[in-house]
Amino acid sequence: MSGVHDMGGRREEFGPVDKSQHELEDWERIADAVNYVLNAKGHKTTDEMRRAIEGLEAYREMSYYERWAAAAEKLVVEKGLLTQGEIDERAAALEKRWSGG
Amino acid sequence: MIRPAPAARFRPGDAVRVPDLRKRGHVRTPDYVKGKRGRVTGVLGEFPDPESLAYGGAGLPEKPLYRVSFRQADLWDGYEGAPGDTLHVDIYEHWLEPAE
Amino acid sequence: MGENGHGHPHEEPKQERSPWAARIRAVEELLAEKGLLTHGEVEAQVRYMEARSYENGARLVARAWTDPGFKALLLEDTKAACSELGIDASGSVEFVTVENTPEVHNLIVCTLCSCYPRAILGRPPDWYKSPAYRSRAVAEPRAVMREFGLEIPADLPVAVHDSSADVRYLVLPMRPRGTQGMSEEELAELVTRDCLIGTAVPREPARV
Repeated sequence: MSGVHDMGGRREEFGPVDKSQHELEDWERIADAVNYVLNAKGHKTTDEMRRAIEGLEAYREMSYYERWAAAAEKLVVEKGLLTQGEIDERAAALEKRWSGG
Repeated sequence: MIRPAPAARFRPGDAVRVPDLRKRGHVRTPDYVKGKRGRVTGVLGEFPDPESLAYGGAGLPEKPLYRVSFRQADLWDGYEGAPGDTLHVDIYEHWLEPAE
Repeated sequence: MGENGHGHPHEEPKQERSPWAARIRAVEELLAEKGLLTHGEVEAQVRYMEARSYENGARLVARAWTDPGFKALLLEDTKAACSELGIDASGSVEFVTVENTPEVHNLIVCTLCSCYPRAILGRPPDWYKSPAYRSRAVAEPRAVMREFGLEIPADLPVAVHDSSADVRYLVLPMRPRGTQGMSEEELAELVTRDCLIGTAVPREPARV
């Protein structure tokens, strides 16, 4: 019954703790902040966010803030705040602009 | 106690067991304590129910939340450590039942 | 908000290889256009988190080491203790401080996600969020602490705290020997981030 996120005691699956630290990228700070602001404004709750994260198919392959970004996107669509189409379109436009297209 | 919990069913010192409720979806009770016996060490207060909040509910009625301690030797086969090693988890009331 | 301090989170990013970098920016822009949040609110939250660090925890510890009344308050009501030092820990999340003593050493983990006393200590280190730490800290805490260079004596019980619900935990370490006469500021410098999680203990100051 336990989900992919429920890691306590699954010691045989993981090795030594990697103590290296990555430098936080700006988009990670935004993913972090957008979530807090949406919570603070009552658009979603921490437990909805946890539930969305736990349901990510690629949970194990994603980095921490990738999970946050993906779950935030999932929730704003689920709640009807944004549509998947407009997010896809805007993300593609941003990618294009950054690549100089 | 951090918040009041007038309706709390358990008290510090009570022996409890964590039933495996086989609930699907979002819960905050880690798998590794399911079916295990522990002891209430504190009543933390009443908090909105995460199993409701996670699906857009209001989290009501609020659930008493307890600090429950377990002997590490009771949780893990072949635990390596001192006999006095303990593990503490915060558990909502509906995930606890009285134990002898 | 770059490390050099003059970046801006909405400018063209450098070296963002994750496909989620563009997606979260798209979400943020669209939410702002619809008036569901503002860029200002997002930037204020970024600044709020940037301003938080384990140094807040080190200040709490140093005060607790020098003021028994404050120590009692910290253990009884961590939010009130924070407020006394001007640390804003208000909000819906609760905090509990657990005390290391000659009878117990405490270690904090969150096995289900990565709960951490962020409002006080800032963002958790990467290792705290790693599957290896989350899975192993509960089942083999002594081996994990050994990987951090911390050998807990066999006769000192270890208490692991899994922050599974609405409470975030931090550790009040023991004051090391050889620190008589040190100021609160000097004492705070002995307290590292890992001391507040339990994967380290404050070291005795080097003798001059």
